[in-house]
Amino acid sequence: MTAPAPTTLRARLDATPWASPLGTQEYFVNMGPQHPSTHGVLRLVLKLDGETVREVVPVLGYIHRGIEKICEHSNYRQLVHLTDRMDYLSALANNWAVTRVVEKAAGLETNGRIEAIRTLVTELQRIHSHQLWWGVFGMDLGAFTPFFYGFRDREILTDVFERTIGGRLTLNYIQPGGVMHDIHPEFVRDVKAFMAVFRPRLDEYEALLSENVIVQERLRGVGVLSAADAVALGATGPVLRASGVAHDLRKAEPYGLYGQVQFDVPIGSRGDCWDRYAVRMCEMRQSLRIVDQLIDHIPEGKHFLVKPAAKIKVQPGVWYSHLETARGVLGAMLVSTGGEAPYRVHLRTPNFNNLWTVTAMAPGGRVGDLVAILSSLDLVVPDIDR
Amino acid sequence: MGLVTDHLPGALLPLPGGGALLTAIDQVVNWSRANSLWPLTFGTSCCAIEVMMATGAARHDLARFGAEVARPSPRQADLLIIAGTIVKKMAPRLRTLWEQMAEPRYVIATGSCAISGGPFLYHSYTTIRGADEVIPVDVYVPGCPPRPEALLYGLLTLQKMIREGSTLARPGQVRRPVLAALPDGMTLDDVRAEIAALVQETATVDRKAAAAVGAAFAAQDRV
Amino acid sequence: MAADLLPLAGLALSPDALVAAVQLLCPAAQARPDCDRPAVKVTVGDWPELAGRLRAHADLLFDLLETHTAIDWPESGRIELVYLLTSLRRGHHLTVFVDIPRDDPVAPSVCAVWPVAQWQEREVYDLFGVRYADHPDLRRLFLDDDWQGFPLRKDYADAFMLDRPS
Repeated sequence: MTAPAPTTLRARLDATPWASPLGTQEYFVNMGPQHPSTHGVLRLVLKLDGETVREVVPVLGYIHRGIEKICEHSNYRQLVHLTDRMDYLSALANNWAVTRVVEKAAGLETNGRIEAIRTLVTELQRIHSHQLWWGVFGMDLGAFTPFFYGFRDREILTDVFERTIGGRLTLNYIQPGGVMHDIHPEFVRDVKAFMAVFRPRLDEYEALLSENVIVQERLRGVGVLSAADAVALGATGPVLRASGVAHDLRKAEPYGLYGQVQFDVPIGSRGDCWDRYAVRMCEMRQSLRIVDQLIDHIPEGKHFLVKPAAKIKVQPGVWYSHLETARGVLGAMLVSTGGEAPYRVHLRTPNFNNLWTVTAMAPGGRVGDLVAILSSLDLVVPDIDR
Repeated sequence: MGLVTDHLPGALLPLPGGGALLTAIDQVVNWSRANSLWPLTFGTSCCAIEVMMATGAARHDLARFGAEVARPSPRQADLLIIAGTIVKKMAPRLRTLWEQMAEPRYVIATGSCAISGGPFLYHSYTTIRGADEVIPVDVYVPGCPPRPEALLYGLLTLQKMIREGSTLARPGQVRRPVLAALPDGMTLDDVRAEIAALVQETATVDRKAAAAVGAAFAAQDRV
Repeated sequence: MAADLLPLAGLALSPDALVAAVQLLCPAAQARPDCDRPAVKVTVGDWPELAGRLRAHADLLFDLLETHTAIDWPESGRIELVYLLTSLRRGHHLTVFVDIPRDDPVAPSVCAVWPVAQWQEREVYDLFGVRYADHPDLRRLFLDDDWQGFPLRKDYADAFMLDRPS
């Protein structure tokens, strides 16, 4: 039986016997920890055969700061600000994850206004994070313009956060028993102005990058991750959904006000880089839809039900709570032996688990494809290392 | 540069008036060094987003100060902006990067982590307490993370240091680190006004003076 | 391709039913009432077989190992391994605790059941010193290879760490 004739140009190139009579040899190349497309200090050891990747071995720890150890020496309020600095692009979702587990453990109550504000700002930050991802994604593929466009629109949202929260990136806003400050009187108007500006710009993004034939060729069929592999390798968030698994904690276990709003969970069908790109683009539109439904219906009430100076005590036991950040499932486990400080805190971070899919996707592709794959995973390295 | 920077001071200083000439050359060299800093893209954590990316993007536009040519290779860069925490495993790599950069090289440490270890100072078994334990730092920019305006202020401070603080007669001299915190009573609007004035000043052409220079050249040609 | 992985809504077991179902598979499993989510404690001998059955059993289908970590209890001389399991298809969760002795921390590896455990177990080895039998590549994950000690153990101390002044 003969092999079927190669059909694509690449398959034909791969089938061509280029090797010299002297033979070839596999070799190792270090990518990182100082490399522009690993987005931080991630190091990948690549086993290459020419330009073809045979194996990827991630090496971690270049930004391992020991957050879990520091948590053991902090009280329940001090946990929150450390989480800002893990996945700094989803700082609010990180704050919320820890806040939820502390509230659950200590039995603290919230009200409708607090939940509405939390849902709104977290959803806005999902857009904020995806805007940055989109700009950097374009830059990694060799197009610099998306970087400027993404940051131009991101700055509008940064100003919205700054007015209410006072920070631009590490916000430390969602606290056990409430939020740090009430929303700014202009918050609703600012958010509406942002949405009016950003909706047409999202179409502009699509016209600029999504409809670009070079981008499509570089993404379609590259870095295919099957649904079974994605689940086995622990992937969550857009990476998992792009492989066709409709798992989103905002739908599966609604928290905040997600149970009261209408939105769809975009999923992919092939699990390639293009699907991961498209899922995030759709998610920005869905986030706008969620914000649209909530922005006019923020209930009246207090923004803080537990005084900031009040000490929080937790009964002995084990608590776990998780939610969906822009990158996947962030879980916080709290072990208490009573008192004002946790005995042990474990943070299940989405990037740590999403990273390993690269070991399944990259082999067989080219080094250039690896850059596209890494960028489509949208990794934040301090969230991997903690 | 080698010929100018290595041999010129020795040749000029013994001559009468050589010191004054050297000062003039210093000014030209420092001016060009200060206005064409090439930063290395080096970010370990949160500060990288604010300091490297947001500052380089359209709104804050690092290009106004001649420092937008970010290079991924240390061999092509002369400004190392340490954006983020340095841990024990990264410290030797940071040292290697700094050593690979060509002289004269400058270091700005941005953010609490790069200054002191920041929020990870206590009870952490890996966090280095400030990048200056690994490499010498010229300018510190506080913040967690610093705003882009803070980095611009730090960059202006560094440029001032380069313009005023180095001379070819004593190459590689250690300059005193400067804290680039906003002075008391100075508001963000003051910083913005100062930046705007500076941009205005460097981007304005005096037409009359330019015309006079042109006329002088034209007269020379006629003679 | 993905049809069999789409969540089957409404088939999640209640916490009590879940614990009862696990106890049917492994009679020695004890319920842990001090957890906010359904949790069982099993012996280290029962765990490898139970892990495979938790993943494969049609009523349970724990396909995602959400996270794996450990808790150090020096007073009682044990390290408690924690496995947080999620079923994407059923939509329920289970926490499994396994005790191992602190002075000789050896545990079976579950990489064959959930491949992501490979790296989660490396993290636990790095920070707690738990040695996993049959792990294909047990190395430190975050710290340098020549690091002494396991920093997330309660009695870890080195000359470098600083205490917060009170």
